[in-house]
Amino acid sequence: MAQIFHPSMNTVAKATIIGGVLFAAALGALGSIVDRSPYVTQQGVIREQPIPFSHTHHVKGVGIDCRYCHTGVEESGFAGLPSTKTCMTCHSQIYRDAPMLKPVHDSWEKNKPIEWNRVHNLADYVYFDHSIHVNKGVGCNTCHGPVDEMRITWQHSTLQMDWCLSCHRDPSKFIRPKDEIFNLAYDPKKKAKDLEVSPAELQATLLKDYHIRTDGQLTNCSICHR
Amino acid sequence: MKSDVATTSANAPIAPATELDAVDERRAAVAKLPDECPGHEHEEQAIELPSTLRHPSSATGTKKLWRSMSELTDSPEFKELLDREFPKAASEWTDEVSRRNFMKIMGASLALAGVAACTRRPEEIIVPYVVPPEQVLPGRPLFFASTYTMEGLGRGIVVESHEGRPTKIEGNPDHPASLGAASAQIQASILSMYDPDRSQGLLRTGDNSTWDRFIGEILPKLDEVRANGGDGLRILMTPTASPTLDRQLKLLAQQYPAAKIHAYDPAGHTTGSTGAQAAFGQDVNTVYQIDKAKVVLSLDSNFFVDSAGSLAYAKQFIKGRKIREDNHDPKNMNRLYVVESTPTITGAMADHRERVKPSQIEAFARALLAKLGGPSADAMASNVLWLDALAADLKDNAGKAVVIPGEFQPPAVHALAHAINALIGAVGQTVYYTDPVFSTTTAGTIDSLVADANVGKVKLLFILGGNPVYDTPADLKFAAALENIAFKVRLGTYNDETSFLCHWHIPESHFLETWSDARAFDGTASIVQPLIAPLYDSRSIHAIFGVLTNERDLTDYQQVRKTWGAVADPATAQAKAFEVMWREALNKGVLPNTKFAAKSFTAKAVPAGPAGGKSGLEVVFRPDPNILDGRFSNNGWLQELPKPLTKLTWDNVIFISPNKAKELDIPQFDKFDDAWGYHVQLSANGAAITGPAWVVPGHPDDSVTVFLGYGRGRTGVIATNVGFNVNPIRSIANPWMASGADIKKVDGRLRLACTQTHQLMKGAGPRDLIRVNPIADYEKAKHGPYGPPAEHHGDESHGAAPHGEAHAAPVPHGEAKAEAHPVDPKTLGGTADTPMAAKAKRSVALTLYNKQMPSDPPYDQTSNQWAMSIDNNACIGCNACVVACQSENNIPIVGKTEVIFGREMHWLRIDTYYGGDDINKVDGPYFQPLPCMHCEAAPCEVVCPVEATQHDHEGLNVMTYNRCVGTKYCSNNCPYKVRRFNFFRYKDDQNESIKLMRNPNVSIRTRGIMEKCTFCIQRISAARIEAKKHGGEGGDGIRGGTSFGKVEGEHTPLTACQQSCPTDAIVFGSLTDPKAEVVKLKSEPTDYALLAELNTRPRTTYLGRFTNPNPAIGNG
Repeated sequence: MAQIFHPSMNTVAKATIIGGVLFAAALGALGSIVDRSPYVTQQGVIREQPIPFSHTHHVKGVGIDCRYCHTGVEESGFAGLPSTKTCMTCHSQIYRDAPMLKPVHDSWEKNKPIEWNRVHNLADYVYFDHSIHVNKGVGCNTCHGPVDEMRITWQHSTLQMDWCLSCHRDPSKFIRPKDEIFNLAYDPKKKAKDLEVSPAELQATLLKDYHIRTDGQLTNCSICHR
Repeated sequence: MKSDVATTSANAPIAPATELDAVDERRAAVAKLPDECPGHEHEEQAIELPSTLRHPSSATGTKKLWRSMSELTDSPEFKELLDREFPKAASEWTDEVSRRNFMKIMGASLALAGVAACTRRPEEIIVPYVVPPEQVLPGRPLFFASTYTMEGLGRGIVVESHEGRPTKIEGNPDHPASLGAASAQIQASILSMYDPDRSQGLLRTGDNSTWDRFIGEILPKLDEVRANGGDGLRILMTPTASPTLDRQLKLLAQQYPAAKIHAYDPAGHTTGSTGAQAAFGQDVNTVYQIDKAKVVLSLDSNFFVDSAGSLAYAKQFIKGRKIREDNHDPKNMNRLYVVESTPTITGAMADHRERVKPSQIEAFARALLAKLGGPSADAMASNVLWLDALAADLKDNAGKAVVIPGEFQPPAVHALAHAINALIGAVGQTVYYTDPVFSTTTAGTIDSLVADANVGKVKLLFILGGNPVYDTPADLKFAAALENIAFKVRLGTYNDETSFLCHWHIPESHFLETWSDARAFDGTASIVQPLIAPLYDSRSIHAIFGVLTNERDLTDYQQVRKTWGAVADPATAQAKAFEVMWREALNKGVLPNTKFAAKSFTAKAVPAGPAGGKSGLEVVFRPDPNILDGRFSNNGWLQELPKPLTKLTWDNVIFISPNKAKELDIPQFDKFDDAWGYHVQLSANGAAITGPAWVVPGHPDDSVTVFLGYGRGRTGVIATNVGFNVNPIRSIANPWMASGADIKKVDGRLRLACTQTHQLMKGAGPRDLIRVNPIADYEKAKHGPYGPPAEHHGDESHGAAPHGEAHAAPVPHGEAKAEAHPVDPKTLGGTADTPMAAKAKRSVALTLYNKQMPSDPPYDQTSNQWAMSIDNNACIGCNACVVACQSENNIPIVGKTEVIFGREMHWLRIDTYYGGDDINKVDGPYFQPLPCMHCEAAPCEVVCPVEATQHDHEGLNVMTYNRCVGTKYCSNNCPYKVRRFNFFRYKDDQNESIKLMRNPNVSIRTRGIMEKCTFCIQRISAARIEAKKHGGEGGDGIRGGTSFGKVEGEHTPLTACQQSCPTDAIVFGSLTDPKAEVVKLKSEPTDYALLAELNTRPRTTYLGRFTNPNPAIGNG
């Protein structure tokens, strides 16, 4: 019987088998990389806004508290965006003619809201609540990063479930005293030093004082999904 | 098998002389089967249950309980249905796709599924307010008190609003007519507001037009009429109890002295006033105080639903039926006698119920009056057997008894009821009279309008509300009369039959879009407060009267404030006092001191009765229990809501009795289990209609019942081609009854969507899913059919002892575990000897695993452990909870075809059981609301391949929709059949207006997702967050919460079903809260779990139902 396959086919077969496995693995890896990339998560992506609002200027420069604009953050699930009226508390007096602020003044005069491009956009099946996080010692910059350095706002974290769980599984590393929530320069080591305790002791005390559950309830599906 | 049954049925002798029952014949036919096929006998034996699990009927003599006639007769079709979750073929792949193609498609879908997950986040915009409205904090709902007007009378409501969008209607606890509850219609009316088929603009003879053009055309006509003193101007409207409307009507009468206002009542709730006319010679409002009554007699009154104070009356009545361990004396329980012409849910609660044909109601009332010592001259013979016993009971309970006449009964029955109430000392005790609440300005009737129109006396007609072209009896010939009227203006929600025949159609604003006011059944006035600006170019009835009375500049708001005493100058003390009053009234939802005082009236002699009883077939007309007179035709929630008693959706039928069915040769069940309606032709008043017949146990033999509201001519997409119109055989002279009717079977049948045999629990029938006992047997019955629980768990002698529920399948390993996890019964909020503690002690045992969840007993005391108790004794089967759940949880409707396949999505269903072996003498029906049981050992969780359904720390069985891949294993494995699967994309994402209605805190589910009752997890979550935020160590005393998030006492969230329930049958709370009502109820000895022998340890348990039959009559 004639030889059907040339001996070199052995190499081809091996290469195909190994290559196939490698290809499948590479495909999987690629998918995983793409899924975690800023392309998908929008992490760190700067979005154009109708007004180039600078948190650096307002927070670091002027020293406005987060809650002056994000009024719902302590009481509601939604932190809230400032209404045009909030902008106008200052900008009816200052920078009245700045072309950059024309959309604000137009909005005020025409009673038409400003349409901002949304930066943080969670999936609709996640029921995130700002108020409980802020009331339980999670600071603004823990999730939102150095907001006071953002000339144009970007999303600091991936907002993927993996990232949420990193804190829900072990919140101790991320909580701080309630009076430091809005302090964007909070340093846990310095705080511990001020309070004359070790950072680990501070964490343990906070967990206890704030009754943060470490028995796994925070990772129940129903905490975020319903 | 089937042919056997059919043959026997067809050959059954029809002559009434033979007492042989067709059903009995079928039973005999089925019983014969084992002889014919020997294999059958083995099958029977194979599924025979251990003696401990057998239905108690054999032991205690209780009657059989059944859900459908095929179950009563043990038909093989029923047995098959019991085994299947969905009817045959409903869960099968019916498209013509070969296996090969199927594999290709599936392969491709699998490959693409991964890719689909890698989607970028969509780019969205976010829009803050320009000026934030007062009190609005985005993300937090606001609640406003308002009023729903039903048949002219107000029911207080509280409306939830999210960022300006009303999303849910609830009852107002401060309003006397709702007391915190809301009926199915009240709650579903929110869907009517967002209905995309609502008319959205003015029409002039069918063409789009504007309000300005209407004003331009109507003003000269009004001037013309006014010059003649109003001659020729007529208003047709429904009765109203709105003080503002009354004021406007009076103003109209001043400006147009010769104009006439006609009122007509399509759903017939104003017979009370004509009855009072007959009894007192003047219009009198009757208010019952049923909580003070020990004996209640309903003369064909469905007072739980149809009466002026329905929600309050239901609550008052059930107050006397809350049977608890410390209150189970039969003397403290009220007793309900019902004499009715068509089965109702009030009749279902009766301790003694008698079915009589409609004309016999009056005869019965006259006989009773004579028995009680009234004028006996015109006493008529009544065949109600327990008349004497009833009369004695009423006499014995003088001052503590009440007679309630039916809403659709002729004036004579009302007069008789007033006379009986006077005789038994009810007046001033269980019933009192007040001035009429309805506006008395509307003196004209609709037949006088038609008569005047036909002789050319009507020149300008305003039809405000109602839909008279459709919903009036055909012999009125309303549409023909309209042709004789020169100019017609119609204000209506839909561009319907009536609008089509009018010159102008003006869209009517929904009550959530407009200011108004209304009086309740006891005179209490409340404000109708809008939640949203009108969605479309619509107007309110006040605006139309504003045009008529030259008050066009006044807004509805100003009109209503004017009624209640607003003054022009805001600086005056009077104005300031008014503002305070007004604010409080809006906040509370009730205007202070507006309740009418009781007055005494002198009754005239009862009018003499007709010469003799009527013979022949009679027809009872009733508004449909869901869509009423057709005003809710286009409301999908109400169309798909299984109607009480029949569990039919999407259709109306002709109710006939089992005997009548036999006589007409109508099969009582068919292969698809009771879901075919065989067409019959019903003729009365010189006309005939054809519709499907439906056999209803408990219906009188010599009458049939038909329902209004279906067979609409011009309507929206939901109501098109649904049901048949019964108005052609109605007569304006006697719109709620017809005699001398004829019925005959005609060809054809209609497949009906009946949910009665859907989601059957395997236990239905043989085990005690619903426990019903006479109150006298409380001591015997309180432990259920299996006797008192065993004293000690793990006792060696348990095998010989009388078996408790959880002993069904003792597992040796489980027994060992019991010792490994001893339960301290004190942790369950009780002492060691409470039955609940004993129950928990037994139920913890049966597990193979060591893993102790926080939701396993003994519960983690720092967390909430949610549980529910449902009092079967308090459930009246009104469906309010089903709609509440639908509204709260964004549950879609699926349409008739899908309902036929058993795919309705309601998370909560009301199981309906009948009792008794004789189809002609049934007990009940008994109702049992069935949400998810939230089993501690949930069978659904272990079979989910992707862990989409899991248990959380608070004992909730939760669904993670975004994980669900739709295998349906969980649903297969659920013994209670409470899981619902989205076979298609049922959610409505086409209509923008519907999106506004959705609860933003509940996910919208898409195709391929399993869903089920969550115990309203969104409400639990909100309460937990509040408790955690505001609770200090051990609670701050204000909110009662702790930083752990444990919610206690009055701060426990209410589930939507619990909140809407008029009788407080549903109680929800945490097992770890010592103050919780639910803990107390679960400690009741009558508390039981469904299918407890499966050891699923459900968190939802039931309290047994008790009846209170008169010992002089016997057990019903």
